[in-house]
Amino acid sequence: MTRKDYLLNQKQKGRHLFGVFPAQYPKELLWAMDIVPAEIWDPPLEITAANAHLQPYICSVVKLGLELVLEGKCDMLDGFLFPHTCDSIQNIASVIRDCLSENKPCYFFYHPKNPHGKAARDYYVLELKNLTLSLEKQLGPLNPDALKQRIQQGHKISGLFGEFYDLRAKGKLDVGNREFYEQLRRGEYLFPDDLIPELEGFLARNKGKEKKGLTPVILSGVLPNPPEILTLLDDLGVSVAHDDLLIGSRRLLVPPSNLKDPFKQLAESYFSMPPCSTKGAPIVERREYLLHLIKATGAKGVIFNVVKFCEPEWFDVPNLTDELKKRGTSTLVLDTELNQGLSGQMKTRVEAFVEMIS
Amino acid sequence: MSLAQKARYNFMKDLGAPALLWLQEAQRKKRSRKPNPYLGPPLKCAGRLREIMTRHYYLSRFTKGAKPVAWVTSGAPVELLRVFDFYTIYPENHGALCGAQKKGPEICSEAEKKGYHPDLCSYARIDLGHAFSGKTPAGRLPRPDLLFCANNICQTVLYWYKELSYYWDIPLIIFDTPYNFQDIRKKDIEYMVRQFEEMIPELERISGRKYSHDRFRKIISIARESASTWGRVLATMKHRPAPMSIFDAFVHLAPIVSLRGLPVALDYYRILLDELEERIAKGIGAVTNERKRLMWDNIAVWFNLRDWSSLFAERGFNFVAATYTNAWAETIHYLDERFPFESMARAYSLVILNNNLSNRLKLMEQMIRDYEIDGLVILSLRSCKPYSVGQYDIRRLLGDRLGIRSVVIESDMTDFRTYSEEQTRTRLEAFFEALEV
Ligand code: SF4
Repeated sequence: MTRKDYLLNQKQKGRHLFGVFPAQYPKELLWAMDIVPAEIWDPPLEITAANAHLQPYICSVVKLGLELVLEGKCDMLDGFLFPHTCDSIQNIASVIRDCLSENKPCYFFYHPKNPHGKAARDYYVLELKNLTLSLEKQLGPLNPDALKQRIQQGHKISGLFGEFYDLRAKGKLDVGNREFYEQLRRGEYLFPDDLIPELEGFLARNKGKEKKGLTPVILSGVLPNPPEILTLLDDLGVSVAHDDLLIGSRRLLVPPSNLKDPFKQLAESYFSMPPCSTKGAPIVERREYLLHLIKATGAKGVIFNVVKFCEPEWFDVPNLTDELKKRGTSTLVLDTELNQGLSGQMKTRVEAFVEMIS
Repeated sequence: MSLAQKARYNFMKDLGAPALLWLQEAQRKKRSRKPNPYLGPPLKCAGRLREIMTRHYYLSRFTKGAKPVAWVTSGAPVELLRVFDFYTIYPENHGALCGAQKKGPEICSEAEKKGYHPDLCSYARIDLGHAFSGKTPAGRLPRPDLLFCANNICQTVLYWYKELSYYWDIPLIIFDTPYNFQDIRKKDIEYMVRQFEEMIPELERISGRKYSHDRFRKIISIARESASTWGRVLATMKHRPAPMSIFDAFVHLAPIVSLRGLPVALDYYRILLDELEERIAKGIGAVTNERKRLMWDNIAVWFNLRDWSSLFAERGFNFVAATYTNAWAETIHYLDERFPFESMARAYSLVILNNNLSNRLKLMEQMIRDYEIDGLVILSLRSCKPYSVGQYDIRRLLGDRLGIRSVVIESDMTDFRTYSEEQTRTRLEAFFEALEV
C-alpha cells in the first residue's frame, strides 16, 4: 500500500491525519489522541510553486514541505504540527499559518535549546502539557491510559529499531542499505499498531544471516538522500553499519524511562536521546557519540551527507571531521540536494572514498 | 585579576585611549572628503560616536587580567553581565565593522579554509575566521572568558557560539527564548526567569564577582532609558525632511547594540537627539531634496552604505525607517527595574525575529503609516534565514493591504562575493520608475 493510500485508509478508520514537519516531536502523545502523524521530509515533488515564496538559499526540506502544501496535497490533513527545528522551519510555520491563509489548525512545539539546565526539563514537560491542551480543544480529551499504552508502544518500537541497528553493526541483518532505510522510514507515517508487527516481521525475515566482506561506514546528516547514494554504497560493497542521521538513530533510539508520570517519562526519554545539532547539543557530545558508533561497528569511515543550506549540520561538520581525522578515521563530506539524484561528480567522490577505506 | 594588569588597563583608559583618539582625529581631518550636494551636512555627533567606539575596541586589548571578557550576541540580555563587570565584545558589531571596511570576504575565507561552508551566515564566518587567523581591522580583540548567546535573533548564533566554545574550550551560557508562534505565555516567562537564576552562580564563578540586585536594577533602568532615547532618535525621522537617514542610523546604532546598559550609551543618544531636534528646528534634512520616503527591511549591507546612500539621495529618496534599527527600541521599553528578570524576559523574547510573521506584518504596516512611507526596499539576505524566510509573502501582503510599492534585492551584509551590482541596479531602476508614477 502506498503512503497516500495508507493515510486515506487511516482517515476512513476515523483517525486524524496531521502533517508533521521535521524533526523532534512527541509521537506518543499524538498517537494517544488518535492522530496519525505523517512526517513531511522529502516528498517526491519538483519544486516550482514554492520558489515564489522562498529564496534560492533555503534548504530543500523546507521547500518541498511548502511545495506539498501549495500543490494542495495536504488537503486530507486535519492539522499541521511544526516542531522548532531551525530558523527556516520556524518561519515556514508562520508563513503557512499567517501568510497563506491556511485554515487548518497549526500547532507549534518548542523544544528547549539549552538542554542541560533543570529549567529546560521542566519547560519541556509544560510544553507537552500545553500541546495536549491545544489538541484537546480540537479533538476532545486525552485518555491518560491511551497515553501510557502509546508510550509502551514507543518503547517497543525504539527497542526494535535498537535491535535493527545492533544487528547491522554486527553485519547480521541481511538487507542492503537502501532496503534498510526504506523500512526504517516507514515509521514516518505508520501508526504503531501497524508499525510494530511490520518491524517484527522484517526482523524475523532478515535476522541472523551474516553478510561478510562488506566495508562498514557510518552515515551522518539529516537524511540518507538522494536514495541513489544508498544504492551506490550497496553496489560498492559498503554497509551503513550505523548512522548519526536525524531521521535515524538521533530520533529513533529513545531510551525508555521508568518514571510514573507519563509526561515526565516523555521528557526524560527526550533528554537522553543521542545528541543532535537541532537540539543545541555540544560538539563534544556529538564527537563522543560518533566515536562510540565507530568503535561499536568497526566503521572504516564516516560520510557526512549534509543537506545543502542546512545550518545546524554545516556548523558542526568542520570540528567533527577534524576530530575524527585526528583519530585516524577517514571522512567524506557531501553537499546534497534531496531529490536530484546522484551527480557524476558526487559518484566519483564516493567511489574514491570507498576505494581509500576498503 | 592582577593589580598590574588592572593598572595597565586604567592607564590606557585615562591616557592611552585619549592619545590614540587625538591622533586618529587629526589624520581624519587631513583626509576629509568633498561634501555630497545631495546630502545634508553630516551629523556633528559622528565624531563623538567614532571616539566612543574606537575607545571601546582599543581598550578591549588591555582587559586581560583586568576585567572578565564576554563575547555576546546582539540580542542577548547583556544587562545581567554588566552587574559582573564583564567587558563585552559583540562579534556581530565586529562583523559589521569588517563589512564596512570591505574585509568580509578575506576574513570569511579563513573560516572557509577550515571547512565552514560559504553558505553559512557571514557574521559567523567572519568571527570564526578572526578566531582562527587573528585578522581584524580593529587591531586585536581580547579572547573571551565567556560566550553569552541568546537565540532570540536566530538559532545560527547557537550553532556558531558552540563552535567557539569548543575551539577555545571556554564556557558558553545560552539564554533560550521560546519562539512566539502564539502570544507569549506565562510559562515562557517563567522558563526564561529560571534560566537567569541558573546562570547567576555561573557568572559569579567566571567573573569572580558577586551578584548585586541593586546594581542590576540601576543597569536595567539605564538600558531602558537608552533604548527609549534611541527610539526617540529614530522617531525624529517622522519629520519632513527627516533630519537623519537610515544609513546614518545603521552607523549610530553601535552604542545601543554594544554598550547597552552603560551610561556612555545613554549620554551619547541624548546628545544625538539634541542635535537632531536642532536640525528639525532649522529644517535641515539628511537628503537635500527629500521627495520620497522609504523603508528598509533587514540588516544593512555594510560594504555599500556610502554608495547606496548617494544613489538614493541623488533622486531625492530618503530612507526614514527600518525594521532592523527599530529592533533595539521596539521592546526594551518593557524593562522595569521593579521586576528586572520578568521584564527582561519579555523585552528580549518579543523582539521582531523571535516573533511570528503576523506580528512582523502588523509592525511594518504601523511603521509604513507612522513614517509616511512611499516605498519599501526588502533586502533578501542569504546569511540570515530568520530575517529572510517569509519576506516574499510579507511583500505581497503589504502590497495588497496598503498598495505599497516595493523591491526585493539580493545581497549579503558583508560578503560581497555573492553580490551582483548589475542585477541590483536593474531592479532598483525599475523600482525608482515605479515610485515616480
Ligand atoms: S545575520 Fe541573521 S543568522 Fe546571522 S547572526 Fe544575525 S540574526 Fe543570526
